[in-house]
Amino acid sequence: MNITLVMCSLLFGGALAWYCEGIKAQSARWLSLLSVLIVSVYFVISITTSGVDFSSLQVLVRLSWIDSLNIEYALGVDYLSLMLVLLTLFLALICILVSWQEIQTKTGFYYFNLLASIAGIIGVFTAVDLFLFFFFWEVMLLPMTALIAIWGHENKHFAAIKFFIFTQVSSLLMLAAIIAMAAIHFQQTGQVSFFYQDWLTLDLPSSTSRYLMLGFFIAFAVKLPSVPVHSWLPDAHTQAPTAGSVLLAGVLLKTGAYGLIRFVLHLFPQASMDFAPIAATLGVVSILYGAKMAFAQQDFKRLVAYSSISHMGFVMLALFSFNAIAYQGAVLTLVAHGLSSAALFALAGMVYSRIHSRDLGNMGGFWQSAPRMGGFALAFTAAAFGLPGLANFVAEFFSLVGAYQRFPLMTILAAFGLIGSAIYGMVLFQNAFQGKRQGPSKERHQERGSKINDLSKRELLVFSSLLALLIIIGFYPNLVLTFFQDSELILAITNTAGGQ
Amino acid sequence: MTQLMMQSLSPLLIIAFGSVLSLLLIAWRRSQKLILIFTLAIFVCALLASISLVSTLSISDVTGAIQVTTLMKVDNYGNFAFILILVASIAVGLLSSTWLTHSVEVHDEFFILLQLVVLGAGVLVMSDHFASLFLGFELLSIALVGMVGYSRDSQYSVESSFKYLILSASASSFMLLGIAFIYSQSGSLSFAAETAPVYGLFYSSGILLFLVGVAFKLSLAPFHLWTPDVYQGAPTSVTLLLATVSKVAMFVVLMKFWFSQTLFIAQPFISNGSVLSTLNLMSTLAILSMLIGNILALKQQNIKRLLAYSSIAHMGYLVIVLMIISPQSVGLAWQSALFYLTAYVLATISLFMALQLTQFNHEDTNQNISDWQGMFWQNRLLALLIFVAILSLAGIPLSVGFIGKFYLLNVAVQAQQWWLITALVVGSGIGLFYYLRIIFTLFSDVSVDKNSSLNYPAVGSKLTPVMSVSVIMFILSGIILGVYPDLLSQVFIGF
Repeated sequence: MNITLVMCSLLFGGALAWYCEGIKAQSARWLSLLSVLIVSVYFVISITTSGVDFSSLQVLVRLSWIDSLNIEYALGVDYLSLMLVLLTLFLALICILVSWQEIQTKTGFYYFNLLASIAGIIGVFTAVDLFLFFFFWEVMLLPMTALIAIWGHENKHFAAIKFFIFTQVSSLLMLAAIIAMAAIHFQQTGQVSFFYQDWLTLDLPSSTSRYLMLGFFIAFAVKLPSVPVHSWLPDAHTQAPTAGSVLLAGVLLKTGAYGLIRFVLHLFPQASMDFAPIAATLGVVSILYGAKMAFAQQDFKRLVAYSSISHMGFVMLALFSFNAIAYQGAVLTLVAHGLSSAALFALAGMVYSRIHSRDLGNMGGFWQSAPRMGGFALAFTAAAFGLPGLANFVAEFFSLVGAYQRFPLMTILAAFGLIGSAIYGMVLFQNAFQGKRQGPSKERHQERGSKINDLSKRELLVFSSLLALLIIIGFYPNLVLTFFQDSELILAITNTAGGQ
Repeated sequence: MTQLMMQSLSPLLIIAFGSVLSLLLIAWRRSQKLILIFTLAIFVCALLASISLVSTLSISDVTGAIQVTTLMKVDNYGNFAFILILVASIAVGLLSSTWLTHSVEVHDEFFILLQLVVLGAGVLVMSDHFASLFLGFELLSIALVGMVGYSRDSQYSVESSFKYLILSASASSFMLLGIAFIYSQSGSLSFAAETAPVYGLFYSSGILLFLVGVAFKLSLAPFHLWTPDVYQGAPTSVTLLLATVSKVAMFVVLMKFWFSQTLFIAQPFISNGSVLSTLNLMSTLAILSMLIGNILALKQQNIKRLLAYSSIAHMGYLVIVLMIISPQSVGLAWQSALFYLTAYVLATISLFMALQLTQFNHEDTNQNISDWQGMFWQNRLLALLIFVAILSLAGIPLSVGFIGKFYLLNVAVQAQQWWLITALVVGSGIGLFYYLRIIFTLFSDVSVDKNSSLNYPAVGSKLTPVMSVSVIMFILSGIILGVYPDLLSQVFIGF
């Protein structure tokens, strides 16, 4: 399997789309759709035919890159990264489909940015040299910021700057921690190394490892996002174009969770154990605060954004309860939330394209004119509040069951988040699809009534594929979970937790 | 003087001899084109001599340094800095040729002054003695004063050249007093005194005064007050000279002085009964510069003022390399400093090049960020140049500036300077605000502001082939060195 090829062909596809848009209008979206499809097919085929067991980390490439600091170009995958890369590629297709009609200006450059950020995200999920990881971590930011800043809504520049600065400042802390780790490696072995598996063998003194862990933790908590550092998310989500929101919620937040699993828990097991009560508290606060804030929103996308904070709180709680079941729940939450929040943001985008407003106060009664859309909306809100039979239910159930064994009180509090999510989910659905359409101006009201167009074929394709996946995973979660039964981390967790 | 010494001084000699020849050339024929070509030819010759010197130096001696009399010591670090200075000066020469054509006069003097500045900078980076340091310092400053006030019809020229003249004169007198104090205690004007100096009050205050003089030139806060005004008032190419050549030369000489006096081994520094060390003093200056520079840059609309404040912050970042605590790290400190300086010089040249090329009216002192609005959609090449340069200054990956910042963090982590790291992180965070504002301006719609697009001629048609080639070169070097920094750092390893 060649991840480098995947990233390069995505970049190349993006550049080609940009170039061809100048020659023939409307060609960019086809080209980018085609290149993502080809890359996905290649990726799936190469996984299934490789015959390698990915339950432990498999290093695919290891080339020296910057000799003077012994930095390597090293990529590696295990099931976690494979799953997240697959999710990324799938959501990339969704992103292209939802921006099909929405993006009318600078189209070529738009698709270039979209594909470039996807290539960067895949790099983040597969890099095993920490310098390279940081490189991709930053590189995926640039096109994402461009997506928000160029094609966003009314307050786009503010949102883009906020997004960028939050991530950049926190990641500089991570960079300092990365360098300190390399320096410790130098002290212990006489050689500087940024290679992930070299670091796993280091014997860290607990006093320094606490600070280093914090450096990583802050960067990932910002991305996740967890409560004190979450405030960029509602703005970025609200102002981003639909595909930007889908990508942010579906994949970018997952890079934070991925970092927590891959680096914080693996490199600093003892320090994370000590830190777990604080992290779990942050998780619970995120769950409850996110749910409460989501309930108070009038803006469709802002509501979904706050619900994301709430759902990612479950991931944080589950990861830091050091329990195999909770870990499986966290991994499943990543997938389930990626699909359901992507669906909700796509829904927001479709509603926006019809009524040019994200304000719930301007919606209502859509069910009559757009029953299909209503049906899907009901299904996706149900997924978001964890209706049994859909993926999110299994995910949250696992997380709570696992976390209960370590933090009983906090888990009980976190379970209230489920009630909260049912409330805001229903508020969302009711306001948009039931009752009568409310609006600021009476005239426009009478003129247009509450009629909107129902889903087009393209939109139907987007929604039905998302819903199908949610249902399949909901009924048969082992599809994902089998790969995480005996992964490295669970062994590590049981070792550390047993040692306590 | 052996042949080796001659060879090691050859870049300087070429420039010195060239400036005499230029005077003769002026006496023979006054032609702006001729003097421009002659100046560039001198710089290119000196550049070639410097590059050939790199290999000579790395094989010649165990230490990799050649002592040429007591005044000069030519080593690879200084030589590399001189290469940077020459590259920047060639850019200055090219840019001023586009600017000076606006006027009917023949501007020979400008180029002579430019050569003298480069000569002064060259003496500075090769000096190993306070006398040569002062000589280079004054040569640089006096020639620069003439250049800062060169466009006499500009409304700011008198103000800025006066500010620069008076402040740099007072800086050099501070410095001179400091040198005298140091001499009174160590009995030697050489950077590395044979006998250990008496670390008394005189010595300490001598070091303090000397550092004040250097800090003026590097515009470290709180000695930065002249920078924005002079940057804004000077012609664009002269500002570039101030921002690159003068900063690089001063910083390199500071490093030479610092490391040969082994100031990094913290010495007690008596002031008001409390014990401070020079290390603490410098890190205070660095933190102040990072914060003040970045905060004051936030609200600037004028591009040159903004760059002035950002250069204050960058010099603050750079001071981190002085903070090493063990003699083993000297090599790493030099590598980091030279890498960072390269990144900074490349980015600064790129920005000023863009600034000069988008300058349509003669009144170049009032160029605002909004003039660059929507440039990405109109002139992709220039916008890309600015984009890469800004990324580099902001220290974002894919650009060479990120590697520079990485090196600095590396030094800081090894020296365990956590306060400096914190200031660096906070400063870069603040810096992103104004850097991103420039980038967003480049990418925003032109149609939003009809007025600015009216007087916005197509820049693309104005780019001469020479200019577009150099624009492409700077874009590529900014990215390639950022993705594959070994190209540069392998050179330092050989030192």
